[in-house]
Amino acid sequence: MMFTLLLKRHLRLYFRDRASVFFSLLGVIIIMLLYILFLGNMLEGAAEEFASDNARFIMDSWIMAGVIAVASITTAMGAFGIAVNDKEKHILKDFQVSPIKRTTLLTSYIVATAIIGFVMSVLVLVFAEIYIVMYGGEWLSFSALLKTIGLIALAVISSTSLVFFIITMIKTQNAFGTASSLMGTLIGFLTGIYIPIGQLPSSIQTVIKIFPLSHAVVLMRQVMMGEALSVDAMPDQFVSFMGLRFTAGGSFMEPWIHIVVLVAATIIFFVASLFVLNRKDQAVI
Amino acid sequence: MDKIIEVTGLKKTYGEIKAVDGIDFYVERGKLFAFLGPNGAGKTTTINIISTLLRKDAGIVSVNDHVLGDDDALIRGDIGIVFQDSVLDDLLTVEENLWTRGSFYGLSQEELKENVEIALAATNITDIRNRRYKSLSGGQRRRADIARALLHHPRILFLDEPTTGLDPQTRKSVWNTIIELQHKHGMTIFLTTHYMEEADGADFVIVIDEGEIAAKGTPTQLKNKYSGDLLIVEPDDEAKIKNYFDDKAIDYVKANDTLRVTLDSTMDAIHILSDIEKNIHSFEVKHGTMDDAFIGITGKEMRE
Repeated sequence: MMFTLLLKRHLRLYFRDRASVFFSLLGVIIIMLLYILFLGNMLEGAAEEFASDNARFIMDSWIMAGVIAVASITTAMGAFGIAVNDKEKHILKDFQVSPIKRTTLLTSYIVATAIIGFVMSVLVLVFAEIYIVMYGGEWLSFSALLKTIGLIALAVISSTSLVFFIITMIKTQNAFGTASSLMGTLIGFLTGIYIPIGQLPSSIQTVIKIFPLSHAVVLMRQVMMGEALSVDAMPDQFVSFMGLRFTAGGSFMEPWIHIVVLVAATIIFFVASLFVLNRKDQAVI
Repeated sequence: MDKIIEVTGLKKTYGEIKAVDGIDFYVERGKLFAFLGPNGAGKTTTINIISTLLRKDAGIVSVNDHVLGDDDALIRGDIGIVFQDSVLDDLLTVEENLWTRGSFYGLSQEELKENVEIALAATNITDIRNRRYKSLSGGQRRRADIARALLHHPRILFLDEPTTGLDPQTRKSVWNTIIELQHKHGMTIFLTTHYMEEADGADFVIVIDEGEIAAKGTPTQLKNKYSGDLLIVEPDDEAKIKNYFDDKAIDYVKANDTLRVTLDSTMDAIHILSDIEKNIHSFEVKHGTMDDAFIGITGKEMRE
């Protein structure tokens, strides 16, 4: 009961704080606005050559796949804000003088973050679908929907682990705020969403390929864009330029590689976080 | 004597600063115990150490027969703490807050439900249970804080400056709640304060200053020892009274129409008054206050 009530508390605190919900979606909103105002028309041209009738559907799916993946990390960041706030406002003291285990508390923050990340990302998916359909696209098929939700879960778990690691390094609300806004603005570049990966110099392309969440974006694109036109039917040049598939050693990466990268990153960041926390004396987070 | 808290040679330093410099004291079960001292005297540090929040540098502390450092989890189950700054969640209602924090003590759902009701009733906040903590007044928040500390029916209730920042009327009603907890529920109360009137209401007082114990005793003992009583007389014939004082080598101070004499004990006033009764118009004997005692002990006025 301790765990469920603690979990309930974290969820309530997150969802009742409207401002923090908004700010954790700020990165998503910025990308959407950029796309609607500038990028959309520019990018649509890229798909027109081979898919004149549903170029818009393809490109809308392209951006939305990115947006959903981004939501998983920015909302995780917002959710972990509760832990930072607990420390900053000395609420942690009240937990520390209670007979509650540090691991229970820690797990409650992590699980709450994963739940919040998942709920918010699915919410973004709903809005994304509405947008796509509004501009002439189609709803996701049932199997694609299941795949997308599975990918969201994977992205959320991986993002939670990464954000957990970032949080272990952060001591103050101020530092957290800075990290969140940095994350919100940089994430679009780090995952190759603002600008297609093919347009960037190869060093930056490498950075994008190393960043774990980019791999979730790739898979999400394959599923969502595949609804408009089979990825195999798209020209290779387009596929690699738009980051529908990453190249490594001259050939395209198989989907399972992306999944391995995401799982590996989850484990690595989680272990690293525990390592950092173990070296700290008092702080819970 | 039943000692529920026993502290020996407790020390804590922050870098160069000795926050607590080797203090010894004990707290009797069921009593209201006050730690009196100016800000920065080491009161909060001591409470934080006893409540397992801070690590001590040296000394032995036992709480309800559990040794601090060995049985911290057991100590945590025996104590409730009201912190100086509030630690409840602004965005949750009073009741949601109590349910969350109450779940830390391994109670069953039924027990917790019952304990929440008892805590709400004991602090008189049953009517605001569904209001968000953020929307409460200062006094209501303090009550909610106290209710939170009572959820697991602790043996000892620590209160760190429980009435600071409250208006006089609210302060009084919060204070009454604390007294009631002691009397009705037999709880041991350990509080820190810098209000003299509150220390005066305690069973036992320790005055702490610059990390050391400057004095201890019941309020009456402290007042008797450190603040002389005052005899104020309004003479008919001032010269005669002055002569009498000079003869007896009694120090006096003239203030307006009165002469003031500091007494070692109130009883001394009887002898003096019987000698001079024919030459005085009126008199007054004043007990020393905790304020006077505090100044007597630390040589300084209470800093706010």
